[in-house]
Amino acid sequence: MDTFLSEKNKAVRRSVRAFCERNIAPIAKDIDQEARFPWEVVEKMGKLGYFGIQVPDSLSGAGMDSVSSAITMEEISRVSAAIGLCVSVHNSVCVYPLMQFGTEKQKKKWIPPLARCEKIGAFCLTEPNAGSDAAGIEATALRDGDSYVINANKVFVTNGGIADTCLIFARTDPEAGRKGISVIVAERGTKGFVTGELEDLSGMRANPVSSIRLTDCRVPAENLLGKEGMGLEIGLKALDTGRIGIAAQALGIAQAALEESVRYAKQRRQFGVPIARHQSISSQLADMATKVDAARLLVYRAAFLRDQGKSFTKAAAMAKLYASEISSEVADMAVQIHGGYGYSKSYPVERYYRDARVTRIYEGTSEIHRMVIARSVMEGS
Amino acid sequence: MGLNIIVCIKSVIIDAPGGKYSRTAENCVLNPFDRPALDFALSLRKEHGGSVTALSMGPDASEPALFEAMAMGADRAFLLNDSALIGSDTLATSIALCAAVAKLKSFDLLFFGARTADSDTGQVGPQAAVGLDLPLITWVTRIKQSEGRFHVTRRADGFLEEYAVNLPVALTIHPEAVKVRDVGLAGIESAFQKKKVKHFNLQDIGLSPGDVGEIGSPTKVISLKRAIKKRECVFLTGTVEKQAADLMEELMKSGLIN
Repeated sequence: MDTFLSEKNKAVRRSVRAFCERNIAPIAKDIDQEARFPWEVVEKMGKLGYFGIQVPDSLSGAGMDSVSSAITMEEISRVSAAIGLCVSVHNSVCVYPLMQFGTEKQKKKWIPPLARCEKIGAFCLTEPNAGSDAAGIEATALRDGDSYVINANKVFVTNGGIADTCLIFARTDPEAGRKGISVIVAERGTKGFVTGELEDLSGMRANPVSSIRLTDCRVPAENLLGKEGMGLEIGLKALDTGRIGIAAQALGIAQAALEESVRYAKQRRQFGVPIARHQSISSQLADMATKVDAARLLVYRAAFLRDQGKSFTKAAAMAKLYASEISSEVADMAVQIHGGYGYSKSYPVERYYRDARVTRIYEGTSEIHRMVIARSVMEGS
Repeated sequence: MGLNIIVCIKSVIIDAPGGKYSRTAENCVLNPFDRPALDFALSLRKEHGGSVTALSMGPDASEPALFEAMAMGADRAFLLNDSALIGSDTLATSIALCAAVAKLKSFDLLFFGARTADSDTGQVGPQAAVGLDLPLITWVTRIKQSEGRFHVTRRADGFLEEYAVNLPVALTIHPEAVKVRDVGLAGIESAFQKKKVKHFNLQDIGLSPGDVGEIGSPTKVISLKRAIKKRECVFLTGTVEKQAADLMEELMKSGLIN
């Protein structure tokens, strides 16, 4: 499967896998059950460059390519999807838009601590009344002298409970509709910035997903990212990149579900033979393996196109749609192969099943991705 | 003045599908016993300055192990690769490595892992030390500079031996001498973007095919079989009390408890 990868990509897989097996695997179940964010491991990951994967060396990052980045997220998620989520969101929809749209001064200020994992990033778009319809957000950031005064109620913020540097989507011109939305960076600790209760989620429980409320929160005007009115453009660009990360995450979960299923099917005996010898089980394993490989090709293609500087919107949407859909399917089949044990917390497939489900929802639902792909297909691009 | 350290590493086989013993990039990894040697060398470079060179003998499939050494921080890497080397036993391997080390010239320390995860002989380090006429200390856990000399601690069974040595010296590094570092992404990026594995062949190191390979090897592996460990299950029967008493007796008899 790694035939198409460079030696560097393979080295990335080996090193990330070794780290995750040694440091995350032993606690993956507990952090899920306890809904605990494992700082002790995250700090080590920070030292290894996982929080600034594509940030250049000059800004304290690892300076890697998109394929290596996707492999990193796939491998972390293979062991703990919740930690994979933290890394993906931090890199793809916080650090990347700052790199892409930030001024030199902004980059120097915000990126090095993010890349070194001294600070954690978040992307705050979703509101109680605005999810897929991003243009429907109600948050405002009104200019007042040298500041913006932000009022926002952001929900389901990945990394929300621990985020230091947050990209807030808000209306700087409430009358201008889609064109009135901007991105302002708000930092934890600013007066009026309050982190809400952590969400009690079905999966991804080790990620501190929370609401973030900003009430008359005053930030310097220089915290505006890009120009006023560019909010949706920045958001969509960030989400294009983020989709590769989430697709890689879904792929990692599916890979883990496949591996556990193969292991279990070879060891579990029924009717006198290992269940892998029963055709109905081996057929499921064949389907799972094929789906996982197909998803992997789509994910790496999207990342490869991004590395080539080519348009990757459609490819990323396809990768995200397909990988997240098959991740749920494969995790579901893994539970089925494990029978009653698959429904028990004694086996990890139960966790994969819960974790996989949300990949079809966040960073663009499957429905939105089908819209993006269909539009692209009909335009002939 | 810094320390120039050469670390000899091996890309070991982790899998032999169908009993076939052939090296490919997929079934080879950096010998886990060489990681402490590399890490030890890198820590010494941090303390004293100087350089760390990784050297390996093997086919092209050994390159990833050398890149990994550079991703950990080694300054440069050399691969001694020649079809005439195929079939070399530990002595022929040591002869080839000695010639390569001589070619790399000035060094202060020559490091080896204590053994390899695939053939496990532990012979190459000591044989190379003899070949290069170097003093040798095995199973080293610590090196400290004191009054112009180097003090080397060796862990042997339950004892720590301390030696004072003059450089250059050959050392094999104890597997638990250091906590091995994880390889970071920036290290990998820098190894692949900025560094290259330099290749040597026999001619480059001044050896002829008769010195190494099967011809130059006094020993030859003629068969390779998986060792089968015999296990015997003993079922304890009777009441729970009797089973517990029997279990205690069995454990005491076997010397596991007393």
